[in-house]
Amino acid sequence: MSVVEAAGTDLHRIVASGKWPAAAGKVPIEWLGAIRERGAALASNLPIPDRKLEAWRYTPIGFLTKALYQPVLEGPFDAVQVSDVDELFLDGTDNIRLVFVNGYLATALCSNIVHADGVELRSLGGSMGEPSDELRDKLDQVADKRHVFAALNSALMSDGALIHVSANVTEKRPIELLHISLGLEQPPMCHPRHLIVLESGASAEVIERYCAIGDGAYFNNALIEVSLGAGSRLRHVRSQEESAKAQHLSDLHVRLGTESRYALTSVALGSAWSRTDIRVKFAGEGAHAELDGLILARDRQLNDVHLSVHHDVPNCTSRETFKGILDGKGKLVFDGYIHVAQDAQKTDAVLANDNLMLSRSAEVDTKPQLEIYADDVKCSHGTTVGELDQDMLFYLRSRGIPLARARQMLCQGFAEEVFGRIVGTPLYDRIRRLLAARLYETE
Amino acid sequence: MMLSVKNLQAEVDGKEILKGLDLEVGAGEVHAIMGPNGSGKSTLAHVLAGRDGYEVTQGSASMDGTDLLELEPEERAALGLFLAFQYPVELPGVNNTHFLKEAYNAQRRGRGESELDSVSFLRLIREKMEMVSMKPELLKRPVNAGFSGGEKKRNEILQMALFEPKLAILDETDSGLDIDALRTVSDGVNALRSPARSIVVVTHYQRLLDYIEPDHVHVLAGGRIVRSGDKTLAKELERRGYGWLSEQGEAA
Repeated sequence: MSVVEAAGTDLHRIVASGKWPAAAGKVPIEWLGAIRERGAALASNLPIPDRKLEAWRYTPIGFLTKALYQPVLEGPFDAVQVSDVDELFLDGTDNIRLVFVNGYLATALCSNIVHADGVELRSLGGSMGEPSDELRDKLDQVADKRHVFAALNSALMSDGALIHVSANVTEKRPIELLHISLGLEQPPMCHPRHLIVLESGASAEVIERYCAIGDGAYFNNALIEVSLGAGSRLRHVRSQEESAKAQHLSDLHVRLGTESRYALTSVALGSAWSRTDIRVKFAGEGAHAELDGLILARDRQLNDVHLSVHHDVPNCTSRETFKGILDGKGKLVFDGYIHVAQDAQKTDAVLANDNLMLSRSAEVDTKPQLEIYADDVKCSHGTTVGELDQDMLFYLRSRGIPLARARQMLCQGFAEEVFGRIVGTPLYDRIRRLLAARLYETE
Repeated sequence: MMLSVKNLQAEVDGKEILKGLDLEVGAGEVHAIMGPNGSGKSTLAHVLAGRDGYEVTQGSASMDGTDLLELEPEERAALGLFLAFQYPVELPGVNNTHFLKEAYNAQRRGRGESELDSVSFLRLIREKMEMVSMKPELLKRPVNAGFSGGEKKRNEILQMALFEPKLAILDETDSGLDIDALRTVSDGVNALRSPARSIVVVTHYQRLLDYIEPDHVHVLAGGRIVRSGDKTLAKELERRGYGWLSEQGEAA
């Protein structure tokens, strides 16, 4: 009789091993030491999620027990050439593009890296120069509440962008963080980590994308921290286009200062399993957040968005619009939580979650929640679940448009409220096309 | 015959609506089908266009010799059948120009013709818009969404002008139109009259026929054509109402 070793991944054992990623040249990044240890200590004390944890009830992580995921401890991956990945690049942009391959900055794939006055662009791994104290001091300070994966990211973060825009500086060119993942026989577990700091009156746009070469299995466990100073403005576009066998987890933490503006467009189209936690905290009065998302859950795909918005101070407004499209045996989880603290008078928040079911075998678990402790607020939430409209389908077909294409067009139309936020950009064309291609594949 | 309908019987939700309808429309002719509410006018229009939920239990319908009832709605459109809706459907998030171009090129593909590129298409659609006096900004909006009643109907006639169908069925195109909009829409339709194009105008009121003059008028009652004549029949209906004919229809 042969002994079969358990193939699963033990997160606690990974932490206990004490092996942390090194930068280029295999040198540990010294200034990260304390953060890693804090993350490791936290991770070893946090439970591995199962169905008994309310926040994970509909999002089982069975994939971890089925394969041995290996944290990527060394980079960069120089073997990847521009010609291997240029189909993932957006056409005709002058974006400042940072490319990460399996969690490590790939210098040869980056473009338009120009250091403008007042804009500090560094990488965790150090290959773009030493980060300033402002950046070092902020790292790991925005993220507050965490689950075990977020803690694990702090322990195992490999590389990422550190962005600092000085007071009253506007960076006009979008900064694109393009993650390219490559599945390996033993699926890699990558830990990209980004920090975006806008000082008072600064303004910038960040595009965060997750793509793959090939259709291999891997697990991305990313964490992004955003700190917005008084009167600053950030447009943040996220597009998850992972491979069909991938697992994707990302944890986004945003802190809004007085009268700052944050606009998020978050699109999840890929992966076999994904979970995105978005945690937005109002820390200064008069701030506004606009959070929009489109989530696709195709056959056997599970995509989850956990949104939690904390109105801790008065006079802030937020709009949350998340739309889901489900097909086959797809599963979609949406948890939208808005907390209004006792002092947060004159809060104005509107949460909407609309879902389009293309199949009767799909499942959506949606839970909007408002928890309000102030007495002078304007808050509402609404959820809908519906099917494609037969009148609309017939109208399109009566105009000569074949059924499959008519369905695609109506799905694109449904997504347009979210996609429309970035209309006119190359990413808009790309995600519209991707969405259509992933639904009712034609020709 | 451009349209040949023989003994057509159809039901909706198990209820028999068309009870043996015969209609022959020659090339280049304009026929009006009039009748009281619930007589089956809209059902006839939808059955010909191929809408789901209308079950044909007997009879036949062919266009230019091709059996329509065997075809999907999109195939009928590519063949040259066009239905102008009584209530044009709003399509939120679907850009009007994009929709028109998709539809135009889908019909061309359906006929084995090459597609028109974006620049040529824009030139073509601008030309057609002038014909129906449609505001150019309506091209940038989602299809029919937030359009006024008149704008929706103009958008229908714009499509008729664009697709250049062999057979156009106008379902209650006058409903919800004020007199000015009615005139523009009718002018658009009249400009599209041609020896190669047949038009079937389905309407409850005679009013529209003052603007679009039919060659033949039929009265539909109780699921059958109960009377046919020339345009003077429409005038007679306006004077006498439908009552006297429905009774005849029921009795027949």
